[in-house]
Amino acid sequence: MTSATIKLDCVTKTFDGKVVAVDAVTLDIRAGEFFSLLGPSGCGKTTSLRMIAGFEMPDSGRVHVGGQDITDVPVHRRDMGMVFQSYALFPHRTVAENVAFGLRMRDVPRPEIAKRVAAALAQVALTGLEERRPGQLSGGQQQRVALARALVIEPRVLLCDEPLGALDRKLRQQMQFELKELQQRLGVTLVFVTHDQEEALAMSDRIAVMNKGRVEQVGAPTEIYERPRTRFVADFIGEINLLDDGPCPGALRPEKIRLVPVADARLEGTVETANFLGGATLYRVAAGGRTYLARETHSGERSPRAAGDAVGLAWNDTDVVPLES
Amino acid sequence: MSMPPNKQPFDLGKAAYLGLNLLLLAFLLAPIAIVLVFALNPTPYISFPPVGVTLHWFDKFFETADFMRSLWLSLWIAACVLVLSVVIGGACALALARGNLPGRAFLTAFFMSPLMLPAILTGLALFQSYLLSGIGRPLWGLIMAHTLIAVPYVLRTTLAVLHNFDRRIEEAASVLGASPARVFFEVTLPLIQPGVFAGGVFAFIVSFDQFPVSLFLVVPKGETLPVVLFNYMKFDLDGAIAAASMVSILLALAVVLALERLIGLKAYVKL
Repeated sequence: MTSATIKLDCVTKTFDGKVVAVDAVTLDIRAGEFFSLLGPSGCGKTTSLRMIAGFEMPDSGRVHVGGQDITDVPVHRRDMGMVFQSYALFPHRTVAENVAFGLRMRDVPRPEIAKRVAAALAQVALTGLEERRPGQLSGGQQQRVALARALVIEPRVLLCDEPLGALDRKLRQQMQFELKELQQRLGVTLVFVTHDQEEALAMSDRIAVMNKGRVEQVGAPTEIYERPRTRFVADFIGEINLLDDGPCPGALRPEKIRLVPVADARLEGTVETANFLGGATLYRVAAGGRTYLARETHSGERSPRAAGDAVGLAWNDTDVVPLES
Repeated sequence: MSMPPNKQPFDLGKAAYLGLNLLLLAFLLAPIAIVLVFALNPTPYISFPPVGVTLHWFDKFFETADFMRSLWLSLWIAACVLVLSVVIGGACALALARGNLPGRAFLTAFFMSPLMLPAILTGLALFQSYLLSGIGRPLWGLIMAHTLIAVPYVLRTTLAVLHNFDRRIEEAASVLGASPARVFFEVTLPLIQPGVFAGGVFAFIVSFDQFPVSLFLVVPKGETLPVVLFNYMKFDLDGAIAAASMVSILLALAVVLALERLIGLKAYVKL
């Protein structure tokens, strides 16, 4: 399967002449990359995806795929695969007919359609369900049909709009692995829209964090997590202590704070709450007139600290990430 | 050890609810039962209690040329109205739900207005406009009039389906390579079809039963069945009327059942 680069070149989209959904966004997505658009609802991530798909026409700026300007190419000639959050399967057609749809639109001969549909369904472990209708499938199975339907046409680009959002936690995790594995095996460029930071961190090669129609930061998951550039990114991804009392604001992850005996501490404080998370405990500690979040990983026994205990906080200055103001 | 089953105490509310429902059903069905009784009663006038059972009135109905001619005419008109209102109402609903039309609420109300107006007014208005514009009272004029009354039914059922329509399904089709025309025929049309046809069933029945509008627009020897029955009743009130009513009811039922078998309305619209 061939894959293609995607380039958004200073793309802007306004709705109803006033709401700026996407504001001069420029993105360079590499061929074969798993690229996530991450942000809260209304940040412009879905609109950006829909402009790549061709459902929305940018007010200004250009969209390039594989080096070609496709801004004016209609949706049905863009040769892309897309998976929707609601799956958007054709309820009046069987699983096999759903998957065959894209091939039929391309006038692929019947015997070849049958062969490719069977292969696509095997790829997502749905062999045997060809004659079912979408309504007779579980959410996870519908998701797989949607994936097979998008991939069977061998698109250069696969667009996913919160495809796992409707699944329960356990199934979502399993589908994360499957989707990532499938994407790597096929080498397709995948653009993944999500508001779930854990999902984005777990699956992506690179992430663009979006806020209010703008891209705040683009980078690998570790980069985004360890070196957030702006206050928004630091706050949106995981838990964070924002230290803005000094001359330059900084961010400190809860796991970088050590709970130590009061004598060795940088700050003395009192435990407000201790939330047991399974593999770790998240403490809220009142110290120096504010609340700090500290995460302590359990190696061996669970720490005995409880609300009301006096603790000391310590961290390294190098772990404080400076933020752009 | 198995637990003894919990005893259900007698539920007065539930019993009352059941009773009320049975009463309502009886109220709805009793008139039809009475018509059937009269249709089978051999006395030459409508009377109660019945004194026997005969198919004489059905014979009379089927052997009277006037009845037969008007029955076929009514069926023919209703079939035309079904087709026309499905096409017009369906297209209207699509335009109203999808098009970026100014004054959409006003247009919807406008297309629905034949439902609000008393049919006798619509009939009179059409009669006068036809005469004034020199059209006269041709058969197609009658079909158009019926269609005017029937379109709101199709419009309403189709709008209901379109209201719950997930447009991502159409987007999925277009991203898979379907041109706008193919999206319409492969996805949109099959998905709204049950709503359109449910409206079509109403359209058929509305036309087949139509009396006030027809009254103004029929010509001698070109009357529809309800008009013929009305004229007949002015002079004779015998079992033939009841037999005709039974045939009408059964024909309407047959159409509904046929469409239900054909496209499975039940899954989409509660009839």
